[in-house]
Amino acid sequence: MGTIKNVLREELNNSLQMEKDYLRELAKLPKGSLIKKKVKGHEYFYVISRENGKVKFRYKGKLSPVEIKRYKDVKFYRTKYRGYLSKLRKQIKFLRSSLRGKQSV
Amino acid sequence: MENSQYDLCIEVLSRLDKVGALKNLVLVGSWCIPFYKEYFSGSKYVTSITTRDVDLLVPLPLGIKAKVDLEDLLKDLGFILGFKGPQGYIKLEHPDLVLEFLVSEKGAGLDQPFKLPELGVNAQRLRYLNLLTSKLINVKIGSLRINLPHPAVFALHKLIVSKERKKERAKISVLRIKMLQSEF
Repeated sequence: MGTIKNVLREELNNSLQMEKDYLRELAKLPKGSLIKKKVKGHEYFYVISRENGKVKFRYKGKLSPVEIKRYKDVKFYRTKYRGYLSKLRKQIKFLRSSLRGKQSV
Repeated sequence: MENSQYDLCIEVLSRLDKVGALKNLVLVGSWCIPFYKEYFSGSKYVTSITTRDVDLLVPLPLGIKAKVDLEDLLKDLGFILGFKGPQGYIKLEHPDLVLEFLVSEKGAGLDQPFKLPELGVNAQRLRYLNLLTSKLINVKIGSLRINLPHPAVFALHKLIVSKERKKERAKISVLRIKMLQSEF
């Protein structure tokens, strides 16, 4: 096999491994997003998530700024990792199609 | 090379510089090539293809005194911890870049990672890396100063390593043939 194909194969293996790793990191993140509701001038928090196709609200009450930040961080990383997974899947598709050619390059 | 990939590499190196780790590391592998552009500024120099792997050589004894958690340092950039091979070499992964740490293997050699608690990672032991640190150059990229092997040393190392890789590939091919033969 040619040098370029070897590099592409290595990159494909890296992307496949990375896809697994990002899925592992996503699974580690707690489910749901934090939402705020205002009732009679007071702010209360709920965690909204989808379970078995149904939207569930879990009451959290009043949260400290540290806890709010933690939920924000989770949201930030979840969005980031999902974006990277999409990017990696595009890379995998491209690399697989590039390696399908029979030319030795 | 994509600009975003280059910018990400610069950002990673900047963060390593801020925590005082960069001056104790040597950038080796294909990512040296875009930075040699600065060294060859007087001549026409075209950079070649780089892979995603950013190899950072850790010369021993390690000069880093304060502990640095690299995973934490690069987490908000989207880097996650990954493991390579059955030995469990640690790498920091991102769809555009993969950071790997290397140390020079000496003596009979050990098939296990070299622990780097100062950086919160481990490193892969590889042969001939001491050749890369035998002559270093320091390239200035913006406000960063990056340690690189001298281009002549880099080329010599590539020649030696490619010969070794050819031998390894030949061994793997023989093994594959033997496996196929045993199946029939």
